[in-house]
Amino acid sequence: MGKKKERPKPILEQEYCKGCGRCVLACPKDALHISSDINPISGIFPVELDYEVCNGCGLCIAACPEPYGLRAGQLEGEFQLEDPEKLFGEKPTTAPKPVNIPDEFLDLPVAEPFVIKGTYAGAIGALLAGCRHFFGYPITPSTEGTELMAKVLPKLDGAFIQAVSEVAAVNMMYGCGGAGLPCMTFTSSPGFSLMLEGVSYMISAQVPGVFINIMRGGPGLGNIGPSQSDLKLVCRGLGHGNTHAIALAPSTPQEMLDLSMQAFQLSFKYRNPVVILGDGYLGQMTGPVKLPEKMIKPGLPEWAVYGDEQHRKNLIASIKLSEPDLEQHNVMLNEKYATIGKNEQRSASFQCDDADVLIVACNTPAQMAKGAVQGLRSRGIKAGLFRPITVWPFPIDALKSLVTKAKKIVVVEASNGQLEDEMRLALSHAGIEKLPIIESIRHFGGVLPQMNEIIEKVSAAEEVLS
Amino acid sequence: MNGVFYDRFERHAHGEGLKGHTTHYCAGCGHGLAHRYLADAIEELEIQDRTIAISPVGCSVFLYYYFDVGNSQAAHGRAPAVALGHKMANPESIVISYQGDGDLASIGLAEIMQVAQMGIPISVIFVNNAIYGMTGGQMAPTTLHGTRTTTTPDGRNQMTGEPLKMAEVIAGLDGPVYVERVALFDNKQRNRAKKAIKKGLKMQVEGRGFSFVEVLAECPTHLKMNTEEAEKWVKEKMVPVFHLGVLKDVEKEPWFESKLPSFNAEKLINSIGGLPEKASRFCDAFPSHIAADDISLKFAGAGGDGAQTAALLVTRAAINEGFDSTHIPSYGPESRGGTSYADIHIAAEEVLSPASPDPNILVAFNAPSLAKFSPLVQDGGTIIYDSSVISSVPKLKGNIKVVGVPMTLIARELGNAVVKNIVALGALQAATDILPDETFLTAIRIALHDKGDLIPLNEQAFKRGKAAAELSRD
Repeated sequence: MGKKKERPKPILEQEYCKGCGRCVLACPKDALHISSDINPISGIFPVELDYEVCNGCGLCIAACPEPYGLRAGQLEGEFQLEDPEKLFGEKPTTAPKPVNIPDEFLDLPVAEPFVIKGTYAGAIGALLAGCRHFFGYPITPSTEGTELMAKVLPKLDGAFIQAVSEVAAVNMMYGCGGAGLPCMTFTSSPGFSLMLEGVSYMISAQVPGVFINIMRGGPGLGNIGPSQSDLKLVCRGLGHGNTHAIALAPSTPQEMLDLSMQAFQLSFKYRNPVVILGDGYLGQMTGPVKLPEKMIKPGLPEWAVYGDEQHRKNLIASIKLSEPDLEQHNVMLNEKYATIGKNEQRSASFQCDDADVLIVACNTPAQMAKGAVQGLRSRGIKAGLFRPITVWPFPIDALKSLVTKAKKIVVVEASNGQLEDEMRLALSHAGIEKLPIIESIRHFGGVLPQMNEIIEKVSAAEEVLS
Repeated sequence: MNGVFYDRFERHAHGEGLKGHTTHYCAGCGHGLAHRYLADAIEELEIQDRTIAISPVGCSVFLYYYFDVGNSQAAHGRAPAVALGHKMANPESIVISYQGDGDLASIGLAEIMQVAQMGIPISVIFVNNAIYGMTGGQMAPTTLHGTRTTTTPDGRNQMTGEPLKMAEVIAGLDGPVYVERVALFDNKQRNRAKKAIKKGLKMQVEGRGFSFVEVLAECPTHLKMNTEEAEKWVKEKMVPVFHLGVLKDVEKEPWFESKLPSFNAEKLINSIGGLPEKASRFCDAFPSHIAADDISLKFAGAGGDGAQTAALLVTRAAINEGFDSTHIPSYGPESRGGTSYADIHIAAEEVLSPASPDPNILVAFNAPSLAKFSPLVQDGGTIIYDSSVISSVPKLKGNIKVVGVPMTLIARELGNAVVKNIVALGALQAATDILPDETFLTAIRIALHDKGDLIPLNEQAFKRGKAAAELSRD
């Protein structure tokens, strides 16, 4: 408008200045100096700007490390220090409030039952649950599940990433799950150990994700035979801090598929990782698997950090610097664990109603035990099988009534008593003091207790009693 | 004020007092500058809504206090992995992994190397101040020789290694398209830093690839210097070791495609090998002449004998007939050359115990397998073995039918030794009548549905095996 255009001069709010002096060094006109007066709000000697000398070159702005430090602004005189609404308002961001997009359930065409191994069934369950993102590291005996995902996901425009390690894999899951999408991994015991750091972060940051751990013999490198020796890890040791996750223990390929599908639903329902524990035998075992009637097209939860306008305000984080904040966070997590404990116990009972000998087993050992129950009954021993499907939370409500009727519990497992410990702990918390005799049939060399072995051992013990 | 910063830093001690508008960084810290240039780049490229900033562990752990973008806070060193997870979830998002030297160049080396070499468009800003700031001045992988830190009280020396030049390491990989090292110690360097950060982001926005900008930053607190001395120190001490400039700038056309996953049910079923047609059934009843309601079999041989494939075919055939059936393989230490055996069960209702420690039927492809497992076969059971490679049969107790069939020889005559396992299936059928011929043949045809030209050979192998077993039985 005919008026000579002046370069705007920087705005300086002294209370936001830390007095580092970078601008002083940057200024070619010597217009900035460290003040000799302490700013009463910040308690710091801030810089002061001589607007008479300043020519508005802006070099000081580019040298100021503070977002609200020196900055380009309106012409002098028009500038207000801070809009009161901004100072005291409720909206530190202009991002919109995100809304929850629910899952859709789509019809599946009728197909013949598949004849597939447990790992494949787990992978297919994930695909049907809407999982299109896989991050993992190959490890025997879970590798076939990983390989199936590598084959199928590209055909569905999904993502399969073979990570540099299990440590990286779980953190890729943290990112993808944090973006609000269902993702998973297949791993086996040593690999799951490596993932625990990330699992702890996922639990704290409330990131969903499904882990299928096909357990093998340990500790250390152990062997690649079937085992159940990660029960303790999954129930009691999911990384550092106050952690828990639902642990599902399927016993057939069909259940691998069904529980894998359910795992995703549970994982998003509770915003928490879910672990599926299979033994190496189940992973390798081929059997008939029926598909469900529906598959899932996942929605997008309102908390997701998806990378769009809708979700811009969101944060996925596990850091709670102030003690009251962390306390509150853990109280919330504990309430969640309590809700899960109340609502998500799952178990199956086989001929338990009149059982004198209650066999407790999960995974493939439960199948072996189921056969043994029939064998024992044909020998006149009233045996029954109680099979936890959730190992955490332990299905204590269902076990409670059976325990009082049975004369003996025999825990059958491929670990050094980890299932028994979970059971005892649950009984103890439930206040059940009068317990029947508890015996065990265990293996821990990468082999499972066999049906005949269970029959023989239980029979022998019964004969001694009678 | 750049709109990419929050109007108030609500997450910084609940935005109370000055914390609502100041960072947690010490006076003169280089992080603040890198933050400002990053905010400027996001604003200028108009990507604020699509941006996801990954906060690392280190002094910049609180990146999410300040940036009004999608924020994800990672475990120590894992930011590139978390970034990749976000990028895969939403390829449209612009993902920035902002990391310090301890995070990226020490604990997170594996993650940065993998994501960099993958070359997927992600932007890394690596702030190198040659010291561990947050934990209080310990040695960093980039600490210079001679620098005293709390873990190198006498100064870093050869025993604690050489300063790690990450920009050179990353530029040496084929994945990244753009790698530059910049500094913050004077107006010129700051201008370059600002441009480099913007260019790094632009590489991602345009779908060209992975970018890595290393920023040499001042840490006046742990250098125990004022800002002026710290700037001088970076210029005079760091730059001679960590040379400034563009280390890699590849002309690459945009290649990164953004695809949304498919949730088409038909496509899914096809991709997992679903079979549309129902297989015909040929069985009238459960083969209870072998066992009442649960038959157990064992197929054993050397790796490569095809024992597993044959066993799986039995399982599939039985399931096609509406029975329950399971198969479990057990391999030796190697898939070829070791022993390989498979346990199969066929049950009228439900397979309860899938192992076959005492099978009704044993199919043995080599002598060690026959020696090992033949004593376990139940009384009244059947053993079928390859008589072309097994010359003598161990003495067995009880009433066990033993059928030798020259499986390998027959397969060779047919022109393909691989089909000896199908010869074995023919022999199994003839020796036990476990399932009808057509049940087996249907299972074989289904298994070979995409290799149709192999079907006649396999059918022939089955028939020859059957004929040979009938001959042997007579």
